[in-house]
Amino acid sequence: MTNVPIKVDNLEKTFRKTLGFSSFKAVDSLSFQVNKGEILGFLGPNGAGKTTTIKCILGLLKPTSGNVLLWNDLPASNNVRTRIGYVPENPDYEDIFTPLEFMTMFSSMRKLDISKDQMVSILGRVGLEAWVKVRISNFSKGMKQRMSLALALQSQPELLIMDEPTGGLDPAARKEFRDVILEENSRGATIFLSSHLLSEVETICDRAVILANGKKVTEGNLDDLLRTEDLFSISFTVPGTESDVLEKKEVIAADLQKTIDELRQNGQNILEIKPVYRSLEEVFLSATRGGKL
Amino acid sequence: MKPVMTFALMTLRNLLRRRTIWGISIVILLALFGIGQIPGYGISNEGRFILDFGFFGLEIGALLLAIGLAANIYPRDKEQKTVMPLIAVPLSRGQYLMGRFIGAAMVQAAAMLVGCIGLMVILLLNGLNIPADLFPATCLLLVEGWFLLAVVFFFSFWTSPPLNAPLTVLLFILSQMSVSGFISILPGAQGFMRFLRLLLPHMDVFHIKDPIAHGVGIPFVYFLLATLYGLAYMAFMLSLALAVFRSRDLK
Repeated sequence: MTNVPIKVDNLEKTFRKTLGFSSFKAVDSLSFQVNKGEILGFLGPNGAGKTTTIKCILGLLKPTSGNVLLWNDLPASNNVRTRIGYVPENPDYEDIFTPLEFMTMFSSMRKLDISKDQMVSILGRVGLEAWVKVRISNFSKGMKQRMSLALALQSQPELLIMDEPTGGLDPAARKEFRDVILEENSRGATIFLSSHLLSEVETICDRAVILANGKKVTEGNLDDLLRTEDLFSISFTVPGTESDVLEKKEVIAADLQKTIDELRQNGQNILEIKPVYRSLEEVFLSATRGGKL
Repeated sequence: MKPVMTFALMTLRNLLRRRTIWGISIVILLALFGIGQIPGYGISNEGRFILDFGFFGLEIGALLLAIGLAANIYPRDKEQKTVMPLIAVPLSRGQYLMGRFIGAAMVQAAAMLVGCIGLMVILLLNGLNIPADLFPATCLLLVEGWFLLAVVFFFSFWTSPPLNAPLTVLLFILSQMSVSGFISILPGAQGFMRFLRLLLPHMDVFHIKDPIAHGVGIPFVYFLLATLYGLAYMAFMLSLALAVFRSRDLK
């Protein structure tokens, strides 16, 4: 039980507005867990409650009710904070410093034993090697995101929490980020990735949790989520030609046996029967009813 | 302690690069320059006047520095979201508050030291003696300044900067009042006003300009007790600030 990096149990977060006379429920009865060593995609349309959930996990927001535990400990505890790395959405840092200065101070605050060379190497890993001694005030949004990844990586965290980490990045930079995430995961880090980029989640995540209106609408292994339950694809060849023509047919589960029998009776050679996979976008749109709030 | 001191130094460097602090420093230097002109008016006992105005200037300087340094720190951190990655990973809320406070307190101490040296230079330039208690008296004003700094941090966690400044000034004024003067604000609620006055420090404890100006020696034990009194109130105010900060959501 203590090995579970994140366990969210019946989480609810309500924000009071207008002197407490009205309120807005950002997260409602949310339960899920992130298992050790996996990459979990956390999806949902804008305003679904993803960032609110992440802030509850990090102890920046207090849940209205329910529990959040990291390795069976409270989010803001010292034990937990030393084991995590956080890449925030639209990060900003005190811009009078250079990345190297900021990393030096950050590592000192975290009591890390890390040399300047190692810091430069981490900055190089996220593509900032040429900007090591340039003030952060000169950085673009994408460069600040790279910087936040470097800060998260410097402690070799056991759990990496990422909130829309590639939002402002160009495709090449996104690929670099993905590679770093996969490298960290192969090192043994657990990754909690909130993202709008479904192709990214589809490429690297083991499991996904999809939110809409603050509630979980679906959760599961990516393979299970993408596989349709009642649609199969049959590949078969039509005999009688010099080179048999390959054809494909999609049938619903109820008609599968009947279709197989018919193909055999017609002398057609069945090569493969497999479930039809949807794209994550289709799964997302269907789960969130078109992504609308 | 290492995370707090690192963050305090980070705060110090950040504050020193801001225009506000240099603006306040220029005002203090101009005030000192003005005080230096007193002998030109042919007033008798000009040394007393210089010390009187000098200490008054240092006290107001401590108040302005507290507001100028701290009123905007947390609101800006929150608005620019720089507080999120700090609180999420390397620092606890208590460490954040202490780091910011110590950084600002160091800048305040440096500014007060410069003010004190400026006052000494003015006295020397006018051929007057420097009282032995000038430096300890400045230290007491600094302790008062640190208390005000803690007050500004306390207000910054639940008000906006434009409201923070008048609230701090109001508390500064109320803390100068005697018990009877305080009760006279609301004579109908004597018990409540007496209790309220008990909560606020007596800032007159820190003001020893009159005895110094008149050449009366101040015993060391007075400085010690007054410093402890000020530091205790500062710690109380910081505890209140931390309690408010801990109850706040970082949206």
